[in-house]
Amino acid sequence: MTSIKQLTLVDDDEVFVFLTSKMLEQSKLVDLIKIFENGYDALVFIKENLGNIEALPDIILLDLSMPIMDGWQFLEGFVKINPSIGKKIIIYICSSSISPDDVIRAKAINEVSDFIIKPMTKDKLVEMIKNL
Amino acid sequence: MKELDDYKYALDESAIVAITDPKGIIIHANDNFCKISKYTRKELLGMDHRIINSGFHPKEFIRELWVTIANGKIWKGELKNKAKDGTVYWVDTTIVPFLNQEGKPYQYVAIRSDITQRKLSEENLLKSLKEVSDYKFALDESSIVAITDQKGIINFVNDNFCKISKFSREELIGKDHRIINSGYHSQEFICDLWITIANGKIWKGELKNRAKDGSYYWVDTTIVPFLNEEGKPFQYVAIRSDITLRKKAEEDLIKYSSALEFKNTQLIDFCNIVSHNLRAPLINISMLIDYIDQSTDGEERQMMHDKIKPVVNHLMEIFNELVESIQVQQETGIESDKIHLKDCLDKVLIGFEAQIEEYEANIELDAGKASIIYFPHKYFESIVANLVSNALKYKSPERKPNIKIESKKVNNTVLLSVRDNGLGIDLDLHKCNLFKIRKTFHKHPDAKGFGLFMIKTQIESMGGKIWVESKPGVGSIFFVEFNNQNL
Repeated sequence: MTSIKQLTLVDDDEVFVFLTSKMLEQSKLVDLIKIFENGYDALVFIKENLGNIEALPDIILLDLSMPIMDGWQFLEGFVKINPSIGKKIIIYICSSSISPDDVIRAKAINEVSDFIIKPMTKDKLVEMIKNL
Repeated sequence: MKELDDYKYALDESAIVAITDPKGIIIHANDNFCKISKYTRKELLGMDHRIINSGFHPKEFIRELWVTIANGKIWKGELKNKAKDGTVYWVDTTIVPFLNQEGKPYQYVAIRSDITQRKLSEENLLKSLKEVSDYKFALDESSIVAITDQKGIINFVNDNFCKISKFSREELIGKDHRIINSGYHSQEFICDLWITIANGKIWKGELKNRAKDGSYYWVDTTIVPFLNEEGKPFQYVAIRSDITLRKKAEEDLIKYSSALEFKNTQLIDFCNIVSHNLRAPLINISMLIDYIDQSTDGEERQMMHDKIKPVVNHLMEIFNELVESIQVQQETGIESDKIHLKDCLDKVLIGFEAQIEEYEANIELDAGKASIIYFPHKYFESIVANLVSNALKYKSPERKPNIKIESKKVNNTVLLSVRDNGLGIDLDLHKCNLFKIRKTFHKHPDAKGFGLFMIKTQIESMGGKIWVESKPGVGSIFFVEFNNQNL
C-alpha cells in the first residue's frame, strides 16, 4: 500500500483531531502528522515554507468551522499563494456540515479535491490516500 | 336703360338669381343657379322651388318666408338646398317681391350667394366644440384636474381635486402647489419636474401629496404644458389619478418581504448552526464510542470513555444557547422598560469589579444626551454586560483598558456606542462571522462565540441594529441602535 510522507490536520476540534491522528497512526499510511487548530496558523506555516518542500504536507484535511480563520478564509488565502508553493498540496475539506450549500461552495474551488463529511472512518482515510 | 342692363349683367355674374311668378313657379334662372343646382334651365323653368328643397328647414320656417314675401316684404335668410345629384348647398338668400300697382307681388326675384363652405366650417366648429366639452366632462368625471398659470399659480381645480386634497376651491385658487406639498420628494425631483414642463415637455410621475387634514395621498400625475404661438407654456394642466391604495399595498409588500427575508436569514443561520455546531459534538461522541467498541486495550478504552463527558457537556451548552436564542426570537411583544443608563451600567459593572481592579481598567459613561433608553430590561443588561465583558476580555496586553460608553439621541432612535482600546478585530477577515454563533476571533480561553450572537438576536428581535468599527491593535467601537425612543 502506498503511504504518504506528510498529512496536515487543520481543525480546532480536539476530540476529532485526537481520534483521526490515532486512526492514521494505526493505519501506518502516513509518516508524519502536523496539526493546526485554525486556518490562520496553517496558512502562516505554509507561507513561511513556500520553497521548503520537506516541511510542506502532501495532503491537508481542512475543517470549515474554526475560530480566528475558518476553512473558507484559509482557502481564499491558499488559492492566492498556491502558484508559488513548491509542491502540489491536495486539500480535502473535512467538516461536520451537511449543508448542501457548503458542498456546492467547496466544489467551486479548484484547489479542493473532495468534501468529506465527518465522522472520519478508517475506510474513508484509506480510500482517500489510495486515490492520490 | 343701358345702365339698368349693366346692373342686371353685374347681378347675373355675381349672384345666383331666380325669378318666380306669384305662385312660386320658376320663370327665370340664371347660369349661376343652374351651375349650383346642377339642373339645366329647361329642367328648372316651370317648376317651383320644391325641386331644390333639402327638407332641412321646418315647415314653419318656409311658411314664414312665404308670408313675408306674399305681404310684399323682402325676406333675408340662409337656406339649405339640394342639388340634382343629391348633394346639398347653402345659400344666403334675399327674396325681393316685385309689386304691381295694387301693391301685390306679381313676381319674386331671389338673389342668392353660395355660403356652403362657411356653413360647413360652422358645422364642423360646432361639432368640435361639442367634442371638446364632452372630453372635458369625461376628464373631470374621471380624474383629478388642476390648471395653473406659467408661474404655477392654481387658477382652476375640478371637484375631484377638492375632494382628495380636502381643500375648498376658494382655498386653492390663487395658491401654488406647495399647499399640497408633502415634503416627501427631493428638491432634485421637483426641480426636474419644473425643468421638464417649463421646456414645454410633458411630465409623468407619481407624487405624494398632503391633504388639508395632514393625511397623505399618492397621485399618478401627467402635467401637460399648453404652449403659446412662440412655443412657450402659458399654462399647465395637471391630470392626476389617486393611487394611494396601490402605493400603500406596495409599501406593505416591501415591508413584508423584508421581514420575510429577515426571517429567512434567521432560518438559514439556524440550519447552519444545527449543521455545524450541533452535529460536530454528536460525531465526536459517535467516533469515541466506535473507538471504544473496537479497542481491546482497557486503559485506552477508559481514556476514550473519559473524553465523552466533556463532549456531552459541550453539546448541552450549545443546545441551551440555541434554545435561549430561539426563545428570544419568539418572544414577540416583549415590553420595553424605562432604563436609566447610568443605574444599569453601575449594576452591570458590579459583576466585573474583580477584573476592572486587576486590569486597572477605566470605564467612562457619557449619557448626557440620552440618559434614558426604552428597551426590555433583561436584554439591555445582557447587551451592556456582553459589550463590557468583551472590551475587558480582549484588552491589549500593551495598555490598560479604557472603555468609553456613549449614548446620543438621533431622531427617533438612541445610538449607544461602546469604545475600547483593546486588541481590535480584523474586519476584513471576520466581518460576516462577527455576530454568528460559536465564532471566535482571538485565542482566548474564554472566547466562546455566544455573546455577540445572543445580543444581536436580542437587539434584532426589538427591531434594532448592531454593528462594529474596529482596527486591529487600536481598538473597537460597537454601535447599537435602539428604535422607537420617542415615548
